[in-house]
Amino acid sequence: MGQKIDKHRMKNGMVLLGERMDNVESVAFGFMLPAGAAVMPEGCCGAANVITDWIFRGAGDKDNRQLGDALDGLGLQRSGGVDTAHITIGAALEAGNLSAAIELYGDIILKPRLTDGQFTPAKQLVIDGVKGLDDHPRQKVMIKLRERFYPQPLGRSTVGEIGQLEKLTPELTRKLAANNFNPSRMIFTVAGKYDFTAVKKQIEGLFGKAGKKTAKTLRIGPKGGKYKHIQNEGAQVHIGLMTPTVKITDKDYYNVRVAVGMLSGGMGARLFTEVREKRGLCYAVGAQYHALKEAAGIACYAGTTPDKAQQTFDVIINEFNRLADGISEEELQRAKVGLKSSLILQSESSSSRAGAIATDFYMLGRVRTLDEIKNEINKTSVDSVLNCLRKNRFKDFTVVTIGPKEIKVG
Amino acid sequence: MEFKVNKLKNGLTVIGEVNKSAKSSAVGFFVRTGARDENPQINGVSHFLEHMVFKGTVKLSPFEVNEAFDRTGAQYNAFTSEENTIFWAALLPEYLVEITKLWIEMMRPALRTEDFNIEKQVIKEEIAMYKDQPSYDVLDRCRTLYFGGHPCGNSVLGSVQSIEALTAEQMREYFTSRYAPNNMIAAFAGNFDWDEIRNVIETGCAAWESRDIDRKLSDTRGTRAKERLEKANLAREHICLISPSVSAQDTQRFAASLLSMIIGDSVGSRFFWELVDKAIVETASMEYSPMDGAGANFTYIRCSSENANKAMEIVGRIFAEATKAGVTENELKMAKNKVLSALVIKNELPMGRLVDLGFNWTYLRQYRTIEQDVSSIKAVAVADINALIKEYPLSEFAQFSLAPAKNG
Repeated sequence: MGQKIDKHRMKNGMVLLGERMDNVESVAFGFMLPAGAAVMPEGCCGAANVITDWIFRGAGDKDNRQLGDALDGLGLQRSGGVDTAHITIGAALEAGNLSAAIELYGDIILKPRLTDGQFTPAKQLVIDGVKGLDDHPRQKVMIKLRERFYPQPLGRSTVGEIGQLEKLTPELTRKLAANNFNPSRMIFTVAGKYDFTAVKKQIEGLFGKAGKKTAKTLRIGPKGGKYKHIQNEGAQVHIGLMTPTVKITDKDYYNVRVAVGMLSGGMGARLFTEVREKRGLCYAVGAQYHALKEAAGIACYAGTTPDKAQQTFDVIINEFNRLADGISEEELQRAKVGLKSSLILQSESSSSRAGAIATDFYMLGRVRTLDEIKNEINKTSVDSVLNCLRKNRFKDFTVVTIGPKEIKVG
Repeated sequence: MEFKVNKLKNGLTVIGEVNKSAKSSAVGFFVRTGARDENPQINGVSHFLEHMVFKGTVKLSPFEVNEAFDRTGAQYNAFTSEENTIFWAALLPEYLVEITKLWIEMMRPALRTEDFNIEKQVIKEEIAMYKDQPSYDVLDRCRTLYFGGHPCGNSVLGSVQSIEALTAEQMREYFTSRYAPNNMIAAFAGNFDWDEIRNVIETGCAAWESRDIDRKLSDTRGTRAKERLEKANLAREHICLISPSVSAQDTQRFAASLLSMIIGDSVGSRFFWELVDKAIVETASMEYSPMDGAGANFTYIRCSSENANKAMEIVGRIFAEATKAGVTENELKMAKNKVLSALVIKNELPMGRLVDLGFNWTYLRQYRTIEQDVSSIKAVAVADINALIKEYPLSEFAQFSLAPAKNG
């Protein structure tokens, strides 16, 4: 597909990646900072979220308001957030404003003011976000699910824990930001319309002075129990379930992606057909591949009224289990074409590409071209997928439900 | 970019904007029907019918429809609002003809009673799902409160009662009266061959019969009613405010959109600096929603119950100050930058372009280039916005609050 990937590794180890796109006037960029939820010390769950808010409350020669106005003045569509390994901050914008935006983000990362006065509202907003999640059981169930599915600290909530947030002080949080905002382990990505030579020069100028630092190794602890129910007198039972699978580096990775496509790729896939189309049990049902660098799983969500919850769960588990019994050539082809076409559709968006190349580099140490991914998908067959499914049976499901009624998970 | 339009004898309009350098194409059928075209006996039928379109035709079973889409890897779906029902697909150009033919077939659905009964369960699940999303639920309730008896206040989903009472026969009647070619647009964006698509539409849709179709258009400034409902399982206070604004046809719509951004964008707005930045509320946003012959500003706020009164005092002050002193040059400049970059980014994708293309034709019977929209936004002056605020004071709102039940 003739992609133009740019790459540069700075002396201190910071990596710059770019993908030039024709026919766009926009550009998207992102900084991946190695300061995600799992990286924070024990007892500081939510610190990464506070830091993400706090660093925008004044940086360099600008106070909170001046910085906000400067960012808005460039028409930035801001993006980012906290995941297990990283804080990602970035934006999409008109290409002409890229350099001015990078300048501001340089200050935000390297010279955040982090004043005591701005700490209080930053922390309060994160606490409010956690409390607000109680009114969004659909989102909450998936956070609670990952918390139990992945061993600690990998499963740690990416929104925060109220008890731990309340104990955070400006001093400690400031220290956490300083320790983990380590340019030598940052990844910067840009996609769309840009001049790589200019970008390289600017980033070198801003981040090149920082020295090398080694990565922290995470101490992996135990994972949570098999089933947890959270009582909530809402209208539906929100069911989240997750089963372990191969990581992105595994040779069976593409077989698993195709298998997930057969379970939940389009409306013709098995979960939608069996749960919604044939039985009318749910409006929302779907499964997704979810990966961290250290572990991966297939996560499934379904929301249904209490009387149908048990049947919904049973039908879903049955669909997972029966996939290894046999698949047809036709459904394999549907899953493959679905994966390939979503790849091409996403390739038109500068934000999607900036995110994709960053994730690739973090997970694999390199950027896969779209052609490479397409070829790997093409190589999968009925036999390869079935062999993979039989070798890696879906088992050890972790289940979380939120709603008025518990289910039996067998 | 090249714009094309063709109108069939039966009234179906086909529009397309060809961009040969795009990697994908997008197709949509825009049907000018929604909750405002329903009466209480059939409330929810537009949205339910949108689901039933996917349940197949005389020739195709529901499973065959899903598989036909999935074979092409298309991303496809549909949505229903108070006044539009839109069916869309974003896909690789080589599959566009095949998927357009599929949509054409589906626009004449079988509406089988057996499928209707299964799908009724799914619709009831969807209603339950939104009950568990208070940010949506409060907006739906506030819309009904604001519009009073105006048809734009009709619930898109309907209620469990109205859906249970609805019959397949009532849906078939509604379908015949609303899915007529003269009430629909077929729209295309991205990479495609216009002549080929025009022929596919001519061949597939020429036999559809036109009908006399009517929609009652009346402007409204809404009610100023206030309601608060406590629910046992809620943790936060969810507040929705709706105030009147200009319609989708009004030339002041660009000013209205900039005003809502100045007052209530998720960052950098007056709401942001006065409410969110100070952590008085978790979120506060205002969005201008242009409609057919009417328009409104929707505000959503989420906070603790303890802060709800304080938040509303500040909102009241923000509204009063805007009415008294207007907006500033600097605020307008920042809002323009944000609106313009969002416009450019959205329109880089054929699917994003399709939405603007289809709605401009639906509301204005007009093709507008991105450049025209850019100049209209740039041309808005502070005085235009200040005149708009005087004409439509933000403080004339209806309010609905969903709140946690107080203990004891």
